[in-house]
Amino acid sequence: MSAQKAIDALAGQIDSTVASYLEACIHCGQCAEACHFYQVTGDPKYTPTYKMRPIDRVYRRDKAPFSGLMKAIGLAPDELTMQDLEDWSELLYDTCTLCGRCTLVCPMGIDIATVVRKSRAGLVAAGMVPEGLLAAAERAVEQGSPLIKPGVLEKVVAKQSAEVGIPIELDKKGVDYLVILSAMEILNFYEVIGALAKIFKQAGISWTISTTAFEATNIGYQMGSPDIARTLVQRIVDSAEELGVKYVISPECGHAYTALNWDGPNMTGKRHSFKVIHILELLEQLRRDGRVKTKGLDGRRITYHDPCQISRRGGVIDEPRSLIDQISSNFVEMRNHGAANICCGGGGGVSSNPRAEGLRIKAFACKKEQIDELGGVEALVTSCANCRNVLEEAIDEFEMDLPVVGLTELVAMYLDEGEKKPAARKRRKKAA
Amino acid sequence: MSHRDGIAIMLLNAPRKNVVRLARAGAVFLVAALVICAAATPSLSEGGLAPHLSTNPGPANTLGGQSSADYWRQIRQGQSFTLVNPQMGPPVLVQSEGQDWRIFRNETIKRYGGYLILAMLAATILFAALRGRVRIEGGRSGRTIPRFSQTERTIHWFVAAVFIMLGVSGLVLLFGRTILVPVIGKTAHGALASAMLQGHNLLGPLFIIGILAMAVVYFKDNLPRSADIAWFFKGGPLFKWHVPSWKYNAGEKIWFWSAVIGGIALSGSGILMEFPWLAQNLQQLQLATIVHGIAATIVIGFAVGHIYLGTIGVEGALEGMTQGQVDENWAQEHHHLWADAASDGPSAASETAPAE
Amino acid sequence: MSLIWFVEQPLWYLSATVFVVGVLWRLFALVALGKKEDLSVARGSAGGGAVRAVLLHFIPHGGFFSKTFFHFLAGYAFHLGLFVLLLFAAPHVTFIDERILGVGWTPLPRWAFILTAEIAFAGLIFLWARRISDPVQRQISDADDHAGTWLTFIAMLTGCLALQESNDALRIIHMLSVEVWLIYFPFSRLMHAFTWVLSRGNMGAVFGRRGVTP
Repeated sequence: MSAQKAIDALAGQIDSTVASYLEACIHCGQCAEACHFYQVTGDPKYTPTYKMRPIDRVYRRDKAPFSGLMKAIGLAPDELTMQDLEDWSELLYDTCTLCGRCTLVCPMGIDIATVVRKSRAGLVAAGMVPEGLLAAAERAVEQGSPLIKPGVLEKVVAKQSAEVGIPIELDKKGVDYLVILSAMEILNFYEVIGALAKIFKQAGISWTISTTAFEATNIGYQMGSPDIARTLVQRIVDSAEELGVKYVISPECGHAYTALNWDGPNMTGKRHSFKVIHILELLEQLRRDGRVKTKGLDGRRITYHDPCQISRRGGVIDEPRSLIDQISSNFVEMRNHGAANICCGGGGGVSSNPRAEGLRIKAFACKKEQIDELGGVEALVTSCANCRNVLEEAIDEFEMDLPVVGLTELVAMYLDEGEKKPAARKRRKKAA
Repeated sequence: MSHRDGIAIMLLNAPRKNVVRLARAGAVFLVAALVICAAATPSLSEGGLAPHLSTNPGPANTLGGQSSADYWRQIRQGQSFTLVNPQMGPPVLVQSEGQDWRIFRNETIKRYGGYLILAMLAATILFAALRGRVRIEGGRSGRTIPRFSQTERTIHWFVAAVFIMLGVSGLVLLFGRTILVPVIGKTAHGALASAMLQGHNLLGPLFIIGILAMAVVYFKDNLPRSADIAWFFKGGPLFKWHVPSWKYNAGEKIWFWSAVIGGIALSGSGILMEFPWLAQNLQQLQLATIVHGIAATIVIGFAVGHIYLGTIGVEGALEGMTQGQVDENWAQEHHHLWADAASDGPSAASETAPAE
Repeated sequence: MSLIWFVEQPLWYLSATVFVVGVLWRLFALVALGKKEDLSVARGSAGGGAVRAVLLHFIPHGGFFSKTFFHFLAGYAFHLGLFVLLLFAAPHVTFIDERILGVGWTPLPRWAFILTAEIAFAGLIFLWARRISDPVQRQISDADDHAGTWLTFIAMLTGCLALQESNDALRIIHMLSVEVWLIYFPFSRLMHAFTWVLSRGNMGAVFGRRGVTP
């Protein structure tokens, strides 16, 4: 009975861009070569284009040119059923991180990841969102963050402020920059807050964090619910407008950047009154302008994991490299780095979906291969808290010895603070 | 002039007008094949077909009604010829060996080749009737093991597709006059034979590439092993028991080697037939057509059995070639030794790594 | 009314019309679905991204070349071969000259035609062999994929079977198969011959604004 709702929701997602993707697919199957879930299982059902099948069926049955004619002569595909949706729930939610690597290999240049994300709207309408994601989305809407309970932010910020000895004012009006954070950062990688305070102090930047709109993660965007995604973006937009900031800094979080910067205005229906700047873009700009100075070089053999949404799908590729070059003497690149990098395995809501955990860990094998090829890597730098968390879990699981470092924190460690020594390298003890 | 005289003439590079006339005069269609090959020499340098046709409209009478006497008169009036390959020696207008060759090809090969194919067909039907579909006795286990890599499968189907097209067109060319003319008439057969000849010549080179690739890819697992002897003594597939074998049983190995050796023979002879100027003398060309006919009927005969056993004859066999995986019970029953090695690890079993 | 006349005259015009009108309508209807204006602040150019994506995806990039070499080789062998045959086969040049454009050009010599046809056939047969034997392609292929492959194959084959150019029946069979192909085209995935530009272009435009071309 609710299959019709799903069908309508899917039909609503099809614009001329999506339609051109669905029209152009020639079923060559090369996308399977790019998908870590297919690569580690060898199961053909994980072929990326196969994940587009439900929305493709809706398109060909109800929306495509000549679909009326095709229906009349019985050549239109069957109407989508609840069973179909259930069958595709795993394919759409558990085994696609929306990393978009399949687009690279596609001779038609199809952006399958976007189609998959839009297809999730059908499952939202049919009430088939995986438990874990749904609960996270509910918490995000009700308490402001999927992971952070009210009051926790204030405590964490106060502690960080004390640690670095720099005051951090929350909800401060009239500053230039509003910092938003990923829940994972507040929960696990809170040193980044102190790091930002140090860097911004040196650069002379006025900034604040909002107690209502601190959460950057857009779980609604990941689960494919246009309504929740809009609500969460709107919250940041409202807060930014209320505080009167010129910039909102998108943190080290993959989807946050895409959701707020690239799709945000399209969701709220109006252009942002502020500019969204990714933290790496800002740091690189400050470095170039000489407003952030570093001292010393990290001698470890380090490499950089490109978060898919920031590099391949966000366009922030060169900035992290110039930053790392500034502070590292032994930086090596993985094969197919940058836009072609392999996903950590847990983006696109997969890491918030306990049902997907087994396969997610397994899929790390592809990433591991990429890292192992380099040999002797001593630290893995990245700029997405979700990647970082997923990578750390998988690294534990695969019994590797490889610390994962956030780039902002790394920059802060080598900040030139006059007579003070470079910040002591403090490694966070792993919680798990 | 009777048709048999055309055989000698066809090897002569007569002025094209005569060649065209000869072809259109409804001469033997197999003869026409070689005429076209011969005619290809000048047309190679002269370019495409449209100008070729526009400058040579040819006789309007394409159904062979033209008097042979006219043609014969031309020859008697001193028509001269050069051979496709000048090194072949002086042109001889009437080859007396040609008659022996013609009888051997048109009667012996056609008769016994035809019997061979019919016999294989009958044997297959008999086997199917007596033995029925060979089932997986233990039922499906639900577990599969890899049997053919993507490379093996892709090459197999490529060769299979080309082989079937060459086989069908070749059979029309060999038996068309005997079997089809009485049924569909000369005109339709003429069109059909022209089509089959063009298709056969066009796709032939693809078969050469395919069979060579196949020989290389499948070579290792088709080397003879001691288990093959036991397979023969126990009667191969004829009885209910399964004889242990490696990846391929002795019957399959015989098919492989027949296909490879027959395929090479077909390739070599086919090259000479398609490019007759490569031949050193007339006998080579005559030999080529004979080798081609014999090898073709043998390989087609085997193919009948192979296609039956590979598709409906043996339950669970086809999926190895379509999906690359076979059921474990199937493997145990049909290829016991290989299956045991396979369960020791996929690398030991498939011997060749998957394509990608 | 003979079959030859029917195939050469009314059916030819009908199928050519279905093809042209069908393709144009399908493309128009596709674009007419429309899309919302992108309100985000662009970092790069959408147009530049579209052009880059259209060109970039001619060749596998991102380290996939070795993994998808088969598709690259067979795909190009077939497609390039097909286009060369379509435009430069001597009878086609004559046909285009006399029936469509009123101008002709130098056709391929016969040996080049044969060679090109062999390359095109090899590509198409290999692609088909892969489609029926690769678990991934078996999973995602539908009847339309097979129908498109077979119709294209039959059109090519009947053309080559008529190579002797001495028999009207063979020519008519080729023409008939091409006409069936033309009529089938706008309703099928053969449309990829046109939609590839839209697909690559749209993707390139989306990401061009973000300053990256995946």
